[in-house]
Amino acid sequence: MIIVSEDEDESDSSPLLFLRQPVHDSVLNINHDYRYLRMGYYVSAHAETYGVEVTPDCTEIMDAYRNPLLIEKARRYGLPTNGYRLVTKPKDDLSTPVMLLAVNPFTNNSMKIVKSGSKLPGMIKKMSMDSRFPVSLHPVRGEVLEIIQMFGESSNDETSEFARRFFEIFNIPICKLIVQIDDGNVILNHCEPALRKEVKWDIVHEKVHKIKQSI
Amino acid sequence: MKIACFVEAYNFDDKSERNALLKFKSTAESMGHLFEFIFKEDITRIPEYDALFIRATTDPSNSAYIVSRLAEQSGLKVIDDPRSIRTCSNKAILHDLFLKNNVPSPRSLLFTGDYSQENLDSIFKTLGCPVVIKTPYTRFSSHVEKAGNEKELIEISKKYLRKSKVLIIQEYVQSHFDWRVGILRNKVLYLCKYCIPEGGWKVKSKINGKNVWGDTIAVPRDSISPELENISISLSKCVGDGLYGLDVKETDDGYKVIEINDNPSIYDGYEDTIDTDIYEKIINALVS
Ligand SMILES: Nc1ncnc2c1ncn2[C@@H]1O[C@H](COP(=O)(O)OP(=O)(O)OP(=O)(O)O)[C@@H](O)[C@H]1O
Ligand SMILES: [Mg+2]
Repeated sequence: MIIVSEDEDESDSSPLLFLRQPVHDSVLNINHDYRYLRMGYYVSAHAETYGVEVTPDCTEIMDAYRNPLLIEKARRYGLPTNGYRLVTKPKDDLSTPVMLLAVNPFTNNSMKIVKSGSKLPGMIKKMSMDSRFPVSLHPVRGEVLEIIQMFGESSNDETSEFARRFFEIFNIPICKLIVQIDDGNVILNHCEPALRKEVKWDIVHEKVHKIKQSI
Repeated sequence: MKIACFVEAYNFDDKSERNALLKFKSTAESMGHLFEFIFKEDITRIPEYDALFIRATTDPSNSAYIVSRLAEQSGLKVIDDPRSIRTCSNKAILHDLFLKNNVPSPRSLLFTGDYSQENLDSIFKTLGCPVVIKTPYTRFSSHVEKAGNEKELIEISKKYLRKSKVLIIQEYVQSHFDWRVGILRNKVLYLCKYCIPEGGWKVKSKINGKNVWGDTIAVPRDSISPELENISISLSKCVGDGLYGLDVKETDDGYKVIEINDNPSIYDGYEDTIDTDIYEKIINALVS
């Protein structure tokens, strides 16, 4: 297995070098950002072009990073969600407080929480870029939390079991998750790139070391 | 069978595109199927259908990708499927696919911003001059420019690198038209010449500040040369078994594939003028 990463000590190749060479071995692609059109995405795409196994693959990346796909997959595997509703323009029957997530190409730091109904139409208009892209709406029922998920470990103790299940289902080595804690339950709302500095690289390193030893 | 056709409002702006959509609908209905147009807000209704045909512009960043993936997961027959969208929408990925599969195509390099004199010299040495620079996500020729010297290459690439980590730089291949080979389920569906307008070098060219499209000349699909057919089918098989449009230049040095598109344009009075059964064949692919 080849480990491709810019940040991990045990990496065999940087993303840039990796892209310029044929691939014959399975690939572990470690990146804090797998967004479409970014290096993290291209590494997985390159591996797929060469028909080798890669973690994560492009389908998994897209399934995690596009909000409706994330929620549908979570539902299918029984990971708790509050459901979502897609809108492109303001509607009369929307209730607050509500979490808004942009379903556009620029989904990074896109989460907004609107508490007052009067502010909602303006925010939908803005986040949909004037109805060009849908916005995913989630009800807010609990405490909203951002956690960093690293190979099934969470940056926050309360959500460690949740992070483990998330990784099992979605196979994304590193990401930021937006969740709600409602009555002790962890509920999934969103997945987006982590910032490099938010990642606990020592945890990543330990995990990668274990994976390397097991093969 | 119930067929959903995913469209956006702009698909109805142009009369011949609108008419083609209506032809799809009437063809499906005459074959005994239900054919409904669905829009962004109907995404959650996808499981009600048996098949999905996407006519809105596809891209992994667009709603069309979400629709395609949700439909695939709900077990619908899907054109364009998610993998085809991911592959064809990105010219860096296509570049890689062409290399891996020895697809005859313009000599081509990935560029990530190495402006050392050594690299700049090597680009022109490898590709000749002028070169063509593209962003991975260009469509409708929006981010495709020609650079005739080092200064232009630096200017254009710096502009493009602001929005993309990688660019594609290619050998310039001169021609009067692009072959458009329409492929469905790895068979030739239609054949056209997309002509390049006088004074331009792209099918859609800016001439004296105005956008000009070249003519579309449909040609019987059976008249395709065996070599072009071979190249086209081998390539479409690398992508999937959906509906594709390949752009290929014919040169003294053989055919050169420019790209393979998912979601190829089908306009009433253009691609459909010779082989008029393309609507029926596509509906058939959706329901079988
Ligand atoms: N290497 C090349 N040499 C000469 N012409 C080229 C080259 N690459 C592309 N072109 C021409 O430029 C135009 C656009 O190219 P391309 O298909 O790569 O970009 P695009 O944004 O997908 O555009 P379109 O949607 O119009 O096909 C086409 O008419 C094509 O023939
Ligand atoms: Mg094109």
